[in-house]
Amino acid sequence: MRFRFCGDLDCPDWVLAEMSTLARMSSVKMKLLCVQVIKDLLDEGIDYDKVSKLTSDAKFESGDIKASIAVLSFILSSAAKHDVDSDSLSSELQQLGLPKEHTTGLCKSYEDKHSALQEKLREISLRLGRLEAVNWRVDYTLSSSELKQVNEPTVQLKLQAQDPETDSTQTTVVSITADKFRVLLTELKQAQTMMNALQ
Amino acid sequence: MLLVLSEEHKEHLGFLSEVDPAVVGESGRIAVEFLKKGSNPKIYEGAPRKLNVWSGSVQHGLEGLMYLLTESCKLTISEEDFQDSVLVLGFSEELTELLLQLYLENRKEIRQILSKLAPSLPHYHSLEWRLDVQLSSRPLRHQLKPTVTLKLHLEDGARRSARVLQTDPPRCSISLTSWSERSQSSRAATAAASSTTSNRSTPLYDTTAVHSGSDLFA
Repeated sequence: MRFRFCGDLDCPDWVLAEMSTLARMSSVKMKLLCVQVIKDLLDEGIDYDKVSKLTSDAKFESGDIKASIAVLSFILSSAAKHDVDSDSLSSELQQLGLPKEHTTGLCKSYEDKHSALQEKLREISLRLGRLEAVNWRVDYTLSSSELKQVNEPTVQLKLQAQDPETDSTQTTVVSITADKFRVLLTELKQAQTMMNALQ
Repeated sequence: MLLVLSEEHKEHLGFLSEVDPAVVGESGRIAVEFLKKGSNPKIYEGAPRKLNVWSGSVQHGLEGLMYLLTESCKLTISEEDFQDSVLVLGFSEELTELLLQLYLENRKEIRQILSKLAPSLPHYHSLEWRLDVQLSSRPLRHQLKPTVTLKLHLEDGARRSARVLQTDPPRCSISLTSWSERSQSSRAATAAASSTTSNRSTPLYDTTAVHSGSDLFA
C-alpha cells in the first residue's frame, strides 16, 4: 500500500507496529506529546520531564517513550517533507489504524506548524561551504619597499565559510586591487539580477 | 583438529600442575578477565607471594592459559580435540576437566572479543543529497544542467567523516540501479553464509561512477 506521507512508498513496518503504542495514550495526552515532538523538530528543545509526565498514565516504559517520540517525529517530518495536506494525512493515519481522535489531534498540530516545519527542513537541507560572515576594509597604500609613491586603494575581504567536508569554519582573507574589484562587483551584480529574477 | 603446543608453551602451562586445583580455577577466571579487560600487572605481584612461587611462572602460566583459550576459540575445536590437545601436557583428569569447562563456558564470549580485532573499513552512517539545476555561470548563460550533490557520512569506530560527491542524474540513476542490484545479491549472500559471519553492512559505493565535488566552486 502506497502512502503519500511516506513519499508514495510502503509504510515502514516499525511505524505500523507503533500505532498500537500511540493508541494506548489518551488522545489529549498524545496531542500534547505531538507539541513536544514538533518543538524538538524545530530545535526549540524537548522537555523530557513533561514527556514522562504525559506518558506515565499509559504506563510507558522507556522503550515505549522512545518509540512514540520516534514514530511521531517520523510522521510529522515525513509529511512536511512530502508536503502532504492535513486531510490526506488524517485519512492515511486512520488507514494505518490510529484512532480517529488521535489522528485529529495530530493533524491539528501538524497544520498549525506545517510552514514552520517546512522552513526548518529547508534550512537544514544540504548546503556546502555555507558563507557565514563577510568583513571588508578599504586601505590606501602610500608607499612600499619597492616604490616610494604607490598611492593605490585596495579592498581587503575576510570571508568565513564552512568547510564542506569537516563542517568547521575556514577563514579566507583576500586583498583586491581597484580594477579587479570592479570586475568582481560587475559579475556579482549580474548574478544578483539573475537571482532576483528567480525569486 | 588438534592444537599443537610449542615446548615453551607446555613449559609455561606446567605451572598449573604444580598448584592446587582451586588455584587453577582462580587462574582460569583471571585469564578470562584479562582477555576481556586487558592484563593487570598487579596480579603478577600479589599472587606469587601468596603461592610461594617465582613471579615469572605466574605470569607465564596465566599468559599460557590465555593463549590456550584464544587458540582453541579461534579454531572452535571440539571437546574431544581440546582434551586430546591438553593430554600432551600430562595433567591429571581433574585438571583437564577444569580446563575443558573453562573453555566451554567462555568460548562464545572470547569469540566475540576476537571478532572485534579484525581490521575494518569506515562504514556508512547516513547520506544527504540535493538536486540542483545550473542556470548560469560566469562564462556561460542560459544553461540547464541538472546535478545531484551527495554528502556521504562515514563512521570508523568513534571517528566521523564526510565525503562530498557530485554527479549528473543519468550517471546517478545508473549508480542507483547497480547499488540496488548489489544490495540484493549482498542480502542473498549473507543469508546463505554461516551465522558466525559479522552482520555489519559494508559500503557499496562505486567511486568510478561519481566524481568528487572539486569543480563545485568553479
